[in-house]
Amino acid sequence: MQEHKDDICNKTQAKNMPNDEDEYDEYDSSDEEDTYNTVGNVPMKWYDDYNHLGYDWDGKKIPKPEKGDELDNFLKRMEDPDFWRTIKDPQTGQNIILSEADIDLIVRIQKQKIPDVQFDEYAPWVDWFTSEVMKTPLRKFPEHKRSFLPSKIEAKKVSKLVHALKMGWMKSTAEMQKDREKNQEPQFYMLWQSDDQAEEMRRIHKHIPAPKRHLPGHAESYNPPSEYLFDNKELKEWNKLKTTPWKRKLHFIPQKYNSLREVPAYSRYIKERFQRCLDLYLCPRALKMRLTIEPEALVPQLPSPRDLQPFPTTMFMVFKGHTDMVRSITAEPGGQFIASGGDDMLLKIWEVSTGRCLKTVPCGGVIRNIAWCPNQTISLIAVAADKKVLLINPGVGDDLISSKTDELLEIIPQSEKIVIDRVRSAVQWDQVEREHWSIGIRTQRNVRVYDLVKQEMVKKLLSNSQWISTMAIHPGGDNVLVATYDRKMLWFDLDLSTKPYQTLRLHGAGVRAVAFHKQYPLFASGGDDRGLIVSHGMVYNDLLQNPLIVPLKRLCHHESYNDFGILDIMFHPIEPWVFSAGADSTIRMYT
Amino acid sequence: MMDLVHSDRNETQIQIRFVTKQERYAVPNYPLSIHSSIVASELNNIINELLKESNDIQDEVEFDFLVYSQFLRTSLAEHIADRGIFTEEVIEVEHVEKHPLPEPKDCLIHDDWVSAVAVCGKWILTGTYDNKLHIWTSKGKHRLVIPGHASPVKAVAWISLDNDKASFVSASMDQTCMIWSWDIIKNSVECVHVCKGHKRSVEAVSVNYNKTLMATGAWDNMLFVWSTSTQEEDDSGESAPKKARLEYASKTKAPKCAMKGHKQAISGIVWSDKTEIITSSWDHTIKIWDSELGGIKHEIHGDKCFFDIDYSPLSRAAITGSADQHVRLYDPRSAEGTILKAKFTSHTQWVASVRWSTVNENHFISGGYDNVVKFWDTRSPKAPLFDLMGHEDKVLSCDWSNPELITSGGADNTLRIFKSKHEAS
Repeated sequence: MQEHKDDICNKTQAKNMPNDEDEYDEYDSSDEEDTYNTVGNVPMKWYDDYNHLGYDWDGKKIPKPEKGDELDNFLKRMEDPDFWRTIKDPQTGQNIILSEADIDLIVRIQKQKIPDVQFDEYAPWVDWFTSEVMKTPLRKFPEHKRSFLPSKIEAKKVSKLVHALKMGWMKSTAEMQKDREKNQEPQFYMLWQSDDQAEEMRRIHKHIPAPKRHLPGHAESYNPPSEYLFDNKELKEWNKLKTTPWKRKLHFIPQKYNSLREVPAYSRYIKERFQRCLDLYLCPRALKMRLTIEPEALVPQLPSPRDLQPFPTTMFMVFKGHTDMVRSITAEPGGQFIASGGDDMLLKIWEVSTGRCLKTVPCGGVIRNIAWCPNQTISLIAVAADKKVLLINPGVGDDLISSKTDELLEIIPQSEKIVIDRVRSAVQWDQVEREHWSIGIRTQRNVRVYDLVKQEMVKKLLSNSQWISTMAIHPGGDNVLVATYDRKMLWFDLDLSTKPYQTLRLHGAGVRAVAFHKQYPLFASGGDDRGLIVSHGMVYNDLLQNPLIVPLKRLCHHESYNDFGILDIMFHPIEPWVFSAGADSTIRMYT
Repeated sequence: MMDLVHSDRNETQIQIRFVTKQERYAVPNYPLSIHSSIVASELNNIINELLKESNDIQDEVEFDFLVYSQFLRTSLAEHIADRGIFTEEVIEVEHVEKHPLPEPKDCLIHDDWVSAVAVCGKWILTGTYDNKLHIWTSKGKHRLVIPGHASPVKAVAWISLDNDKASFVSASMDQTCMIWSWDIIKNSVECVHVCKGHKRSVEAVSVNYNKTLMATGAWDNMLFVWSTSTQEEDDSGESAPKKARLEYASKTKAPKCAMKGHKQAISGIVWSDKTEIITSSWDHTIKIWDSELGGIKHEIHGDKCFFDIDYSPLSRAAITGSADQHVRLYDPRSAEGTILKAKFTSHTQWVASVRWSTVNENHFISGGYDNVVKFWDTRSPKAPLFDLMGHEDKVLSCDWSNPELITSGGADNTLRIFKSKHEAS
């Protein structure tokens, strides 16, 4: 038994031993030829129940080798020095003693080394292809476009697929599965579905079906009840409406036949069908989208007048004393007095706080315009009366100033400069404006702005109206308000353009007077419609923001006289009070 | 008695209790249940009935009713609803005897607008727009006309009054104040001092409590304090022309103290203390000055021009008239919270002058450009107690220094005198 085993062992060893002569032996991995067992690569557990392990070349059973009992094993372990490297070949059932080379191989594999001892892991690296970026490319031609641009065709294909998925023409696998499951169930559908539902038109959005024709009634019947048949009177009426057939109740005469067979061909059939087609074709059926714009949305957002206080709201004082139209008013710079003049040729000085006329100066001519000297160290009023300019010392206020002014008045003033070219007789009034000494001159249709230092025209404001009545310059200097006799007020922003920034049509008649307040953002206008309109006119310091103009209050207290209403307007120099001079020979103050 | 009140109206019932500070009108203070829509006249009936039951007062007395320290002017329900008070508690209704109606007594006709009036004892001093001063007795007898100013007189004030001698001051648009001394027996008047210093028209003058100092305010924005002494401190033994010059020099007076701070005209001045001056100005401020230190102590900002101010030491509050229809009540001492205590609205035009009562802490009068002098109680801000009609043009000034005389001067060239019966308290 022992012999036999050794025999086999040797045999296999001999077989496994590399043969020096065999040139292929070294690399030949196929070990079929030298296997003793011919069963092939089958699980050997199939032979567990048999006494043999397989078959040899001659077809004879290979008997299972004797299994030694535990005692033999133990003895072998104790005695055999090669026991630790003896393994059992399952194919043959023989014990094989592993050679030194085998052990070495196993050890290397276990240590996760490369099994071949000869292999040099640290051989010098041969750089076949360089990893450095070369300055001059090997390939001279540029990259093709498709290497960096996404393919359009692919995108088109993808979008087609996405669209198909979206529209439900193509289905994902999950959906397909769902559909398949659904198809398994019994299917039901509405038999008369199309009758009560609008036809589904996929391509026309919000399709409106054509109106249905009326169903035939009793009158259309071939055998109508007798009450539907026309009697003479009805027939007469029907015939009478020959020229206006659309007024008829019925468009045909109901007729009675004995049987359906006797009904003749309907003569108007083609015509009616054609009419119906025309109706459907010529009358577009579409839902018209109506824009709902509230009238409030069209009005610009303006702040409420409540937030813009203070501004004059009520009349608090009437200055009575003139006997004719008051054409012009002006205020003392300190705000204690006002002066007025008009057609009664009188210059009157009033006390603001009480409405008392303190002085009356006859001027000998109709007073067209007056102005109080803005310089507080001189007490002077310039009066344009008739064809003269009078300089009057009103003698109110500081006594010292008034006596000094009297001394000054002894020197007769002389005109320094004769006004510039192209100013015709239509020039009516001018106003000096802030630090850079420009002057606005109003001709009949335009406003010209002159620079007094350079003595040249700077700007010409186009009013686009027939007749300018007056103008006022904002205390900031960059805005001009021009009033015209054609009911308009034009707000010019000199920084914006020479055309009006805003046109205010607040008055019902010609505007005769406009005025700005020196401190509050207020302006007022008055005209022949007797109304004084107080407005908020805020000019912002930053150039980005346009002026804000809000009409605030209409004050109508003056009476009309010869179609004239308000002739002049002035603000109190300090308080938000406005004065208006009217043709009804009164001056009114509103606070 | 309650049946009288409980008529057929079925309204909510309110429990009230009558209280009073006037001992003789005290009624038993058990709560009464009344219907809520009761008005003052019905309450008056109840009180009178109660008084007849309990006391021996037999004649009808008119009462006014204070509910939550305001006069009842509407029905009780509305009054309570306005203040948002529970109706479940017992409401205390204080009844006070109604202030008797001031009766028009006299109308003194002048030649021009009466722009200033001051009363002292039985003498009435007026200043007019024709540059004159007039002295009248309270009986309406004209005693004296004093020309002197060169421009309309804007303010007058009494300095002292003895049996035979009196002195007073007048301020005018001619930029001066004049201190006059008046010999009552001889009925002769003399200008003692001309106070020069203001550069614009003087608008207001006020004399302090012990009559030693006076303050003036003018359109040149300055507040001047002057001494009021009429003593001419002259030494004899000078040559005649020098004496005359000296006399002139002593006649013109320079201010003791000049105070700057207002940005616009000073329209009203009142002394609130020995050294404290309250001024109102067109620059929308009320300033409180210390006359000894010569500086501003405190400042109140309004939103309209002030035309007049008066201060009452009884109620320690100031009332102002301004460039709108309202009379405003300020507490000049409170630094935080609302300084504006109340707003009295009934005038339809500007209020040119306001005066406190000198005896009652709640009463004051106001004269407006709507030709009416109104008699107010601070506890009734919505409506005045009385409208004193009579003027045919703007009321420019009013005075109530003598508790029995309400005087007012107006642009209709008259001075109207109303007799205010002193209520028993």
